[in-house]
Amino acid sequence: MLAYITKIKEISDRLLKEQKVDLIIGFRKGTIPMMNEPCFAKTASDVKNLVWDSNCGINLANYLTNRKEKIGVIAKGCDARNIVTHILENKISREQLVIIGVPCKGMIDRRKVSAASGCEVAEVLEKPDGIVVKGPGVEKTIKKVDVLQDNCAICIHRNPVISDEMVADPVEEQKGVDRYEDVRRVEAMSPEEKWKYFEELLSPCIRCYACRNACPLCYCPTCFVDESKPQWVGKTLDPIDTRTFHFLRAYHCAGRCTDCGSCVRACPMGIDVRAFTKKLEKDALEFFGWEAGMSLNERPTLDTFKPDDPDHLIK
Amino acid sequence: MEYAQAVPLKYAINPDECIYLQKGKCGNCKDVCPADAIDYEQKEIRKTINVGSIILSSGFTPFDPSKFDNYQYAMYPNVVTSMEFERILSASGPTHGHVLTRPKSSKKKDAENVKTPKKIAWLQCVGSRDMNRCDNAHCSSVCCMYAIKEAVIAKEHVGDDLDCTIFFMDMRTHGKDFERYYDAAREKHGIRFERSRIHTITEVPGTKDLSVRYANEKGELRNEVFDMIVLSIGLESSKQNIELANKLGLDLTPQNFCKTSTFEPVATSREGIFVCGAFQGPKDIPQSVVDASAAAEAAGAILAQARNTLTRSPEVVPETNVIGERPRIGVFVCRCGSNIAGIVDVLAVAEYASKLPYVEFSTDNLYACSQDTQDNMVQLIKEKNLNRIVVAACTPKTHEPLFQETLLNSGLNKYLFEMANIRNHDSWVHKNNPELATKKAKDLVRSAVSKVALAAPLAEAELEVNQTAMVIGGGISGITTAKSLAMQGFRTHLIERSGQLGGQALNLYHTSSNEDVQEKLSAMIQDIERNKKITIHLNTELSSVEGFVGNFKTTLSSKKKKKVLEHGVAVIATGAVPFQPDEYCFGQDSRIITSLDLDKKFMTNDPMLQDLVNAVFIQCVGSREPDRPYCSRVCCTHSVHNALELKKRNPKMNVYILYRDIRTYGEREILYKEARAAGVIFIRYSVNQKPGVVLSDGKILVTATDHVLGRLVEIEADLLTLASSIVPYKDEKLAKFFKVPMNDDGFFVERHAKLGPVEFATAGVFLCGLAHYPKPIDESIAQGQAAASRAVTLLSQKTIHTSGTVAKVNPAICSSCGVCLSICPYSAPSYLDEKARMFRGKAQINPVLCKGCGLCVASCRSGALHLQGFDNDQIFSQIYALSEAG
Amino acid sequence: MSDWEPKIVSFLCNWCSYGAADLTGVSRMQYPPNIRIVRIPCTGRMSPKFALAALREGADAVWVSG
Repeated sequence: MLAYITKIKEISDRLLKEQKVDLIIGFRKGTIPMMNEPCFAKTASDVKNLVWDSNCGINLANYLTNRKEKIGVIAKGCDARNIVTHILENKISREQLVIIGVPCKGMIDRRKVSAASGCEVAEVLEKPDGIVVKGPGVEKTIKKVDVLQDNCAICIHRNPVISDEMVADPVEEQKGVDRYEDVRRVEAMSPEEKWKYFEELLSPCIRCYACRNACPLCYCPTCFVDESKPQWVGKTLDPIDTRTFHFLRAYHCAGRCTDCGSCVRACPMGIDVRAFTKKLEKDALEFFGWEAGMSLNERPTLDTFKPDDPDHLIK
Repeated sequence: MEYAQAVPLKYAINPDECIYLQKGKCGNCKDVCPADAIDYEQKEIRKTINVGSIILSSGFTPFDPSKFDNYQYAMYPNVVTSMEFERILSASGPTHGHVLTRPKSSKKKDAENVKTPKKIAWLQCVGSRDMNRCDNAHCSSVCCMYAIKEAVIAKEHVGDDLDCTIFFMDMRTHGKDFERYYDAAREKHGIRFERSRIHTITEVPGTKDLSVRYANEKGELRNEVFDMIVLSIGLESSKQNIELANKLGLDLTPQNFCKTSTFEPVATSREGIFVCGAFQGPKDIPQSVVDASAAAEAAGAILAQARNTLTRSPEVVPETNVIGERPRIGVFVCRCGSNIAGIVDVLAVAEYASKLPYVEFSTDNLYACSQDTQDNMVQLIKEKNLNRIVVAACTPKTHEPLFQETLLNSGLNKYLFEMANIRNHDSWVHKNNPELATKKAKDLVRSAVSKVALAAPLAEAELEVNQTAMVIGGGISGITTAKSLAMQGFRTHLIERSGQLGGQALNLYHTSSNEDVQEKLSAMIQDIERNKKITIHLNTELSSVEGFVGNFKTTLSSKKKKKVLEHGVAVIATGAVPFQPDEYCFGQDSRIITSLDLDKKFMTNDPMLQDLVNAVFIQCVGSREPDRPYCSRVCCTHSVHNALELKKRNPKMNVYILYRDIRTYGEREILYKEARAAGVIFIRYSVNQKPGVVLSDGKILVTATDHVLGRLVEIEADLLTLASSIVPYKDEKLAKFFKVPMNDDGFFVERHAKLGPVEFATAGVFLCGLAHYPKPIDESIAQGQAAASRAVTLLSQKTIHTSGTVAKVNPAICSSCGVCLSICPYSAPSYLDEKARMFRGKAQINPVLCKGCGLCVASCRSGALHLQGFDNDQIFSQIYALSEAG
Repeated sequence: MSDWEPKIVSFLCNWCSYGAADLTGVSRMQYPPNIRIVRIPCTGRMSPKFALAALREGADAVWVSG
């Protein structure tokens, strides 16, 4: 990690100095533990504030939308895939970007850390042998694998698919991961069980739209939830409206979602929003052999029609 | 009324059966007709019309098998004709699509024994290819395919365990995609094909089951019992057709079809009289449709100068501006005689409608579509100042245009209209439930009212048509199209990739009716070279195509230069090439040649032809194989004709044709008969056991298993002709230029396999010749004429209107994500370019290219796209209206 | 519950299924009157939002055909 940040700063400094970019989008320390925040570094002193550790889960592709400058962007595996989608969907052009690729071994889930430490977390340090959590009168070392974000634990694209500079050699990709165990469990449920499952899943939702705001795919000038003519979805906390919002948002992500986990990370109520997008991500893979953001040469799978597309799913 | 699809769909009285007309009594129909439409006084009226040309499309008559005592069609209730079986399969037929035995019996005892059949057989060639018991030597061309279709559908209706067997002589699936259908019927649907001609059908004593005795392919005698037997009856000319031809002084063929020539396939022997469809010869629907367009072209060409001299333009009523007005909806509920009113309480529906929001006026009509109601509607719209109209009646698919016309006549934009389908979707399908049907009618009216309230007047884009045509491909079809278009008075550019016109026809010797191809072809070429309206571009290919119907811009590139051609329509006639065989030692001996090589030898009078002892033909070389699962259609006739030519040159020569099925369809069958009479020896082989060819000591040894003797025969061939298949160019570039589809084999895919055989779904682009599918010269010429005919319907208009129900972008909320550009099959969306004053990079829709399917609208996450006429708020309001309690 | 009748909202493609529903009428085939048809120009026009709206408005089933 220390090596990463040194290299990130070195590259950022160089790019700014050589005026190859107008700004660097990366992370700096947040005001509370485990909450690094995105930052736009435009000067050498800004660069000094850049950090890299296992709390950089926010997807930085989200900050590229419709920007006009030349940008150096720090990109993990998932960020890079979303940058590809952003380029394909005309949210930014490839020429505007210098992608600083960061091989990633997963980000930690602050809720899991809190739960594992059993106290209010005051400070978190990453050591080679684990994560050291300090709280009032407590100091505890936790294994990183135990507190990884759910999506990171099953990630199979840890290395950026696209980059101009790399801060380190690629890390080994995880092999033999069962990515969809949870989706299959829901699929196997009876309609009544499913109904109950989703009812409980969404019951805490307060319709704050944090999941939408954190998602790099949600960049429409006017989101369907904000439109009133026609009113696609009611604006109340009625469970039907809430469900409609989540279903439709998931559909908008179908064939485009990279399972970056930003939505779950952003949710203040701790809802596993990925339960929706992941099913569609699985279907895109199984029906169309498609993983989003892997290539600049192909539009997202649902944007195209091929005569040999499977049709059993609509019968 | 003879057919449910009759046009016009009106009843007529058969005077021979009418009691009133015959005996002066009855008159019931007059009493009950609510429209007062019965007029017994109508008499036959003779009219004289002056016309410039006549087209005969008087069709065929199905062969009547009752004269065959061996099939006992008239006696046995379970022997039916294929035409009767079509009706049995039809949902609107006598059994509502249920396949049941004893369909012909009216006896009560039989009715009790009606059952669902377990085994059905089809007997092919009943009344075709038969000179013994009837005089029809020709093949009827369509029966093999319809028998397979009937068997497949019968299995769909009855269930997969229905046992279907087709007894045939040669399976003739020579049409486009037909061979695939045959393969699927055999392999996927499990339909059994028995190569055997059944001599006699007998009833199993004590039952109505049918027993047949036949020899199977191996020569073994079999007895088999079926529940039902379908006679695949052939096509023949009716007596009336023959009388008509005699009256008009037209020549007929020996089979009594109208005589035409290869190079003028729709011209009869009398100038100005043309023929199309099955009166010209037995043929299927696509070929008949091609003929019809070709005949229209031929008839029109000689009348081109008189075009529009007898037409009158209707008066145009200026459109009232209703934008910003509160909706004032008029609802007209149709009784449709008793079709609707017999079930649905129409008065209650009209009364209900009058209380719906924005409804200003509602009424019921006996027939909303009748002329007096239409006139009345125009009056009411003006009187009550209505600005939106709902007609609750039948289906918009047939009647929307009629009512839209009425709106136009009253000065309303035709898109301020909606229909509620309370007949086809209601009264007709819920006849035992009047109460709920009435409730449903109210729901449908409410839904339509809520939708029309949101309707806005829509503009139709008008675009000028560049009255120039471009024909791509200078083969026989392209030449024909270019000539036809020029004769109709349109400037035509003919593009040919090689340095010479003529295409594959340059390689052909004689047609199957012995016309000299080279002589005719050079006359055709001279003809178009002299025509001032035609510009010929040799050694030229297309490098790009821009634009759309009426306004194409094509860049042509020849060796040195590029030039841009502006044209209104394009005809693709790019042809195909002969397959170069990769088997049977082809290329290893100069005496192993293709059919076209043999034609060349005929043309040059190659002396080697004189001294041949044994000449062998092998059919289906490269066709009907896994790599090319289609029949090349022309090769059987070609080889049979060439075999006869060899026999003519040297009657002592032994000529062998090794074949899988002889497919001399239609009147080409006569050639096959002649060939057998001339001593040509036909040996059948199967695809699993192909003939062997070995070169040994300078000899060509051909081995095959004789299907009659079951023994291996060896022939020392002095000449081995391989009937190689026809393969398309697979011109992906051209397909992309014009956004037209191609099938797996590489042939272009027409708009509709049956009803649109010479045009593409892309407006303004047409198709003919081998690029569509393998076909002989007469069919290529007919298709060339047909393509011209369809193109003229566009070219003869100065401007065309597109539909108003097209997509539109609200650029302010467009996110430029590009889904619409990617997903549209018609390339209608694009980005506003850098030069745009506002909204650069946002999507826009070209209304001319948009077909109004709504794919982009449904795919647009930002909600920036709207489908006018089917907009989101309209569909939502329909959904909401449906849920409101009535 | 024995006399419960489902409410079905169907979205039919103008070019095929809507025409088929017309033909059903022409053929006088009978079916229960629980179904309400919304004509759409092509099933490509169908949006998940319509299905959800219909369900929300009390439909027990949504049928899309084309």
